[in-house]
Amino acid sequence: MASKIQSVSAPREPAPVMSTSSTILNMREKEKYIEDFEFPFCDESSKYEKVAKIGQGTFGEVFKARARNSSKKFVAMKKVLMDNEKEGFPITALREIKILQLLKHENVVNLIEICRTKATLHNKYRSTFYLVFDFCEHDLAGLLSNVNVKFSLGEIKRVMQQLLNGLYYIHSNKILHRDMKAANVLITKNGVLKLADFGLARAFSVAKSGQANKYTNRVVTLWYRPPELLLGDRNYGPPVDMWGAGCIMAEMWTRSPIMQGPTEQQQLILISQLCGSCTPDVWPGVESLDLYNKMELPKGQKRKVKERLKPYVKDPYGCDLLDKLLQLDPAKRYDADTALNHDFFWTDPMPCDLASMLAQHTQSMFEYLAPPRRPGHLRHHHHVPGVQPKPAQPTQDSGYQDRVF
Amino acid sequence: MAGNFWQSSHHQQWILDKQDLFRDRQHDLAKLTEEEYQKVFNFFASIIQVLGEQLKLRQQVIATATVYFKRFYARNSLKCIDPLLLAPTCVFLASKVEEFGVISNSRLITTCQTVIKNKFSYAYGQQEFPYRTNHILECEFYLLENLDCCLIVYQPYRPLLLFVQDIHTQIQDDQILTYAWRIVNDSLRTDVSLLYPPYQIAISALHIACVMLGKENLKPWFAELNVDMDKIQEIVRTIINLYEMWKSYDEKKEIQGLLGKIPKPSPAPQR
Repeated sequence: MASKIQSVSAPREPAPVMSTSSTILNMREKEKYIEDFEFPFCDESSKYEKVAKIGQGTFGEVFKARARNSSKKFVAMKKVLMDNEKEGFPITALREIKILQLLKHENVVNLIEICRTKATLHNKYRSTFYLVFDFCEHDLAGLLSNVNVKFSLGEIKRVMQQLLNGLYYIHSNKILHRDMKAANVLITKNGVLKLADFGLARAFSVAKSGQANKYTNRVVTLWYRPPELLLGDRNYGPPVDMWGAGCIMAEMWTRSPIMQGPTEQQQLILISQLCGSCTPDVWPGVESLDLYNKMELPKGQKRKVKERLKPYVKDPYGCDLLDKLLQLDPAKRYDADTALNHDFFWTDPMPCDLASMLAQHTQSMFEYLAPPRRPGHLRHHHHVPGVQPKPAQPTQDSGYQDRVF
Repeated sequence: MAGNFWQSSHHQQWILDKQDLFRDRQHDLAKLTEEEYQKVFNFFASIIQVLGEQLKLRQQVIATATVYFKRFYARNSLKCIDPLLLAPTCVFLASKVEEFGVISNSRLITTCQTVIKNKFSYAYGQQEFPYRTNHILECEFYLLENLDCCLIVYQPYRPLLLFVQDIHTQIQDDQILTYAWRIVNDSLRTDVSLLYPPYQIAISALHIACVMLGKENLKPWFAELNVDMDKIQEIVRTIINLYEMWKSYDEKKEIQGLLGKIPKPSPAPQR
């Protein structure tokens, strides 16, 4: 028999070299089917030295770490949380690994390798897995929350151009990000933007006729969630990420998320107040979405995207592109390619490099390390926060304390 | 998910060299002849196939599970993990990776028990499936580490469909696809998925199908392909050898003996 090998007569001491989980199996049980062997592939995580915790991802903590070898290179290490023992290795982690192994692009975060801790008695012979990434100095939410960081129009264009380039690439590879938000947009000190956190990402296919996709609609951080998801759509696609791109673009000027609903219902109301009522007139087919009759949808709201964002954005091309990204009807929303061809990117001032602006800031800026942002800037949009900080805001002017270096 | 095969871990890390593969198997080949070794893998490919069918998985998931299984033993001896445990673990992991959804633990174990009892009693006799969920979850870790977390496996099915589409512009024949598809399934019983890129396996399956069906008129189509025909011939020969082996092989009679011969974990030293 392949399975029953030998009966164990005498009690044995567990051999600690064998990496195993003593909580799940005792050694004797295990000897029946597993032989002691070394793992030649995944490197040990001890080749890196943790420096600081810099964030909390969808499926685990993120650390800044430094390679112990001669390169002394900085990396970001994302710990794989093993919450749900029943599911085995978490499917979210499997997705992130396989998707990041597939995606290699200047504007997508680079996965260097997967590491694991050595299995010892101390961790009950169960390794912890880490995803190891190239280190990026900042995230966009962290940069935007620091009033000392000022983006010129050309720099904003460069940020958005890179973000859309990244989205164009992942969408061409049939991947949805599904968690677009400023905190998931990383920026290196050289000004290169990287889309990060693919913990909610998944591959998509174009629905075949008569056979709609059934993806979960419980994705995307609420403030960046598009109306079709809030209305229960399960057959969605790349436009869900484009809505997030629109929210992030507006945030480049408003400096805080433009619609901060506390509940899904409230978020829908905020969207209607900005983008107009969700009606079959502007959005054919909206009436057949699952929650169309279950959610309260404000009627008779006029679309005020340009009107309300103009005080911040000023640039008419910018306002127009925002209008095209924040379309209620996903079919009318610009895709990444069309957005990249918008005049916004091809008129003066042209997109310009971020490196020199970022060079003035020598500390890392991550949302995780920043003080809580003050909500609701958009509601009083008569004074312009952030863009031109007034001396009367000393608490904000000081930025925030350095916890990384 | 499309992706680019040429940049994938499948192409860069997991198209193995025949000599290397043979060398890494030396430990097992000390106990089994090459043919016996192949018969053992043929058997476990059947277990994975039947498990997958019982769990109503798509063939793509089954194929990925089979390749995981082969990749693990390409670099490890059969004694490292009991193949009867690794087989369902591969099915479990593949169904997650291929977005089939997570198979519930109890369903997986129950299916293993029924399948071993009802379909493979000729190999295991009255022996019940000895593993539980905790064994599979544990084994998943070993599997992931040994795959070096290379999860995406490109299968010959998609290129096959593309080639058949192209052929259809010249000849309308549904039989070719049916035959070639089955030959691709059969190819999982050989080492070709470890040695050749999937598009070459697809072309080879088409080639065999055309010979079986006597489709002489497709010769120009093959001639126009810009592909290394030596490789195609190697794959064809490997698959034909499998069919030759099947002719004279009665698994029901031989497999118990073979399973008895495979290397097993040695008991830990007494202290």
